This record gives sequence, C-alpha cells and structure tokens, in this order.
Amino acid sequence: MSVEVEVDENDLAEMVEQVWEAYLDPEGVSPLMQTYDENQPSEVHSSVSITGSWSGHVVYASSRAAAKRAAAAFLAMELEEVSEEDISDTLGELANIVGGNVKAMLPAGAQLSLPQVVLAPESSARYPNTERISGVYGLWEGEPVSISMWQSSTDTKEEGA
Amino acid sequence: MKILIADDSRVMRQIVVRTLRQAGFGDHDLVEAADGQEAFDKTTAEKPDLVISDWNMPGMTGIEVLRQLRAAGNNVKFGFVTSECTPEMKTAAEASGSAFFIVKPFTAERFDEVFAPILG
Repeated sequence: MSVEVEVDENDLAEMVEQVWEAYLDPEGVSPLMQTYDENQPSEVHSSVSITGSWSGHVVYASSRAAAKRAAAAFLAMELEEVSEEDISDTLGELANIVGGNVKAMLPAGAQLSLPQVVLAPESSARYPNTERISGVYGLWEGEPVSISMWQSSTDTKEEGA
Repeated sequence: MKILIADDSRVMRQIVVRTLRQAGFGDHDLVEAADGQEAFDKTTAEKPDLVISDWNMPGMTGIEVLRQLRAAGNNVKFGFVTSECTPEMKTAAEASGSAFFIVKPFTAERFDEVFAPILG
C-alpha cells in the first residue's frame, strides 16, 4: 500500500517563498513570480532522491542565467566572477535545501540522497517509472525556475516491457 | 570573538557567513571547516568562542563533533544549523550540550535573535 502524498502545489509554493526570502531575495525586491507553465524550458537542473516513507525525486531546474544569479547571491560574488563550479555547487545546494524541506513535509521515515547536478535541461533527465505529482513554475527576474516532485511508480511492470 | 562554521557544503558556509554579516556579526573572526573531523580539529586548535555546525557531514556528524568536544572537556558554545529538526535530533542536541538549533531556511533576524545574547 503506497502512502498518499500530502505535499501539494500550495505547500511547495509556500516553501519556495521562504527559501527565496531567506537566501535569494532577502530584501524582497525580486521574488519568484509563479507562471504555472509546466513546460517552461530549463538549461540546468539538480535533484535529490527520497526513499522510505515516500519514493521519488525533487528536481530544481532553471535557466543558466538564473543559476548564475543564485550562485552570485549565495556566494556573495559579482555575476561576472561566477564560475562553472560555483553554478554547480549552488545547484546542488538548492536541490539539498528544497529536498530537505520537502522531506520535512513527508511522513516520518524518509531518507534524502546526496544531490545530483546536471548542467543540461531538465527534459534530459531520466527518472524511470516516475510521474510528476506536484510543482512550482515561475520566473525570477524574467528567468525560468521550477521545483517539482516526481513520485516513483508502485507498479511492478518490468522497465521497458 | 572567533566563530567556526562547519558545513560540508561550500555554498552553505558562505550563506551562513553572509547571514552573520547581515545580522551585524560580520566583524568577528570567521573560520570554516568542511567536515566533522576538520571541525573538531580546528575547534581544539583555534579555540573559537562559538561553533555553528551542520548536522549531516561526511565522516563525523555534527552531533559526534559536539560529543567528542564535551568528552575532551571543551565547553565551547556550540549549536546547529540544519535542514530538518526532528524531536530526536533536538533531544540529542540538548543532551549533548547544544546551545541552539536553527532550521533552514534561516534569516538574519533569526541569527540576531540567537547570537546577540552569545556574541554581544
């Protein structure tokens, strides 16, 4: 029997707002503006997998420009100083932050993996036997950013069958 | 005063540094540690006045660092900044002598609330 997931779009949106206020927009001048566009493009993404009381992935995806701005904010650097490694480290930390917050909303017994970072669009990701169950999609200073939850399928069908 | 920041994430250490500055504690001497063993070694060697530690770190976890410091007779002011807060974690932290427990995402206001009494 699978656990009915209780984290919906509103829960994610509230968490995302807190993350932005705390880390990316402490002065409240450039929040993430929700667009509800589930098909908006991305150029980089990071994810953590969750196992135990719920099984699936939490994915953070954005444009490269948004990731660069996040890195500059996190690391207190100028935009032009941000390196590829800075972008990668920041994406990993963002997945860790949002994944940790999602885990806290799940029933007790969930385990969080280390983040995976891919400097490629989210559409290139391969999460076998999962379906998207929840997500926040928006623009940050005009750049696309999204956080989504992908639940692992509980059916026992053979992969590729 | 000297503050040691222990977190295996370079990004998170910088976020803590930035938030300390925003909260008005930027003039203190800041030292970083990238894992638990380094946190223990640097706390012993450099004798900071305050340790701000993550919970989950490779090798030695934050709670293990705290327990080993206490076992060695080190009474440094030590507390946690972590992404989740279960009753079990809080109980273990308090039993080991933790001074505070801050949950991510944190704000400069929260840092000021917790650290002003410690740092003055």
